Amino acid sequence: MNRKIFTALLLVLVFCGLALSQTGVKKKRPLPYEYGRVIINNYSERTDIAPVVFEHWIHRSMFTCRVCHVDIGFAMKAGGTDIKAADNAHGYYCGACHNGKMVAEGKTVFAACSRRANMDDEKRCVRCHSYGQKVASDFDFFQFSQPLPKERFGNGLDWEKSEELGLIKPATSLPGVSGARNSLAVQKDFALNAKVEGMPDIIFSHKKHTVWNGCELCHPDIFIGVKRGTVKYSMVDISQGKSCGACHTTVAFPLTDCQRCHSKPVQP
Amino acid sequence: MVPTAMVFKAKLWTQLATIFKRTIRKGTPFKQTVVAAVLFMGLAAWCCERAVHEVSALAGQADTARQSSQESSESWRTEFDNICAKTEDAMTFSQEELTDLIRRCDSLQPQIEKLDESRKKVYLERLRKCRGLYAYVLDAKKKDKK
Repeated sequence: MNRKIFTALLLVLVFCGLALSQTGVKKKRPLPYEYGRVIINNYSERTDIAPVVFEHWIHRSMFTCRVCHVDIGFAMKAGGTDIKAADNAHGYYCGACHNGKMVAEGKTVFAACSRRANMDDEKRCVRCHSYGQKVASDFDFFQFSQPLPKERFGNGLDWEKSEELGLIKPATSLPGVSGARNSLAVQKDFALNAKVEGMPDIIFSHKKHTVWNGCELCHPDIFIGVKRGTVKYSMVDISQGKSCGACHTTVAFPLTDCQRCHSKPVQP
Repeated sequence: MVPTAMVFKAKLWTQLATIFKRTIRKGTPFKQTVVAAVLFMGLAAWCCERAVHEVSALAGQADTARQSSQESSESWRTEFDNICAKTEDAMTFSQEELTDLIRRCDSLQPQIEKLDESRKKVYLERLRKCRGLYAYVLDAKKKDKK
């Protein structure tokens, strides 16, 4: 009897394992404070230090996407920038702000990756190199998010409305890093036809996107087509991080929030 | 009121000096040699540590000063700022203007490739983005013209 039960259990385990290996494990939906988290591990584990945990929510409340991803030069994919400690110590990438001098939200921003580290620096190092470790943060997500208008998915916050209401004021440039720029002449909104019949068409707002990104963040790296309608976008591609998915699967509101994009009224 | 640390240090040095004097006057030649050698090595180590600290502090200051003055005065940075500050106006430029901007980006690239690793990485990527935008807009204008 015991032998039969054992055999049955073993078979169940084997079949479960096979099933999981075929279809993969369903991704857990990130919690509001986890959404937009990036783990940076180009060299950390190789040098016996915990990988860096970067939280987008606190940084995007202070700076537009363009400041970091165009002016400072961060890549749009985790690990794509190839940041080294020396780069930070020399005042580039994270070191552009994390230099021990810049003031943000009334606090001096701690310096990242000094050239010579001693035992006292360990507390400073783990503020970023905190993957798998319990490190107290200066900023609490729930306290931060309390006054902001809420949304259903992603961080659970309506970032666009937060900015409109002046609850967050992301800077559009960084002194000494960003060059002087004229204000952008905004392109008009346009509609994209949905492939599925009955699904509302997408209204794409250039104005909303250029406020945060400028032009060069999207063109041509993310959107290469120059003539409207020449490139076909599919939800499969987008969910794999192509085109809109470059941001709307990682940091901006996720694809589960269909009506944010598919917003053109359906004509009967 | 004299700080406790200072009093402690003074006492320590006094005792060491007493031991030194006693050893030099009454100690065996071996003991005298050992004490003298220890003192000499201690002094040498202290001097080296101070020298290294001073040199690295000066190097750090020089490095920062050099970097900031280099970036502000180097012509490549001025040219870079001139070229890439215009991305907002890209749609308003003519094809000739865009072609000129792309040419200037291409001329600037070899200068950036000669920089140190950190700056090269950052500015090559920034240049790639702004050149890419101008090429993209130029392509759009050419296709519109057709």
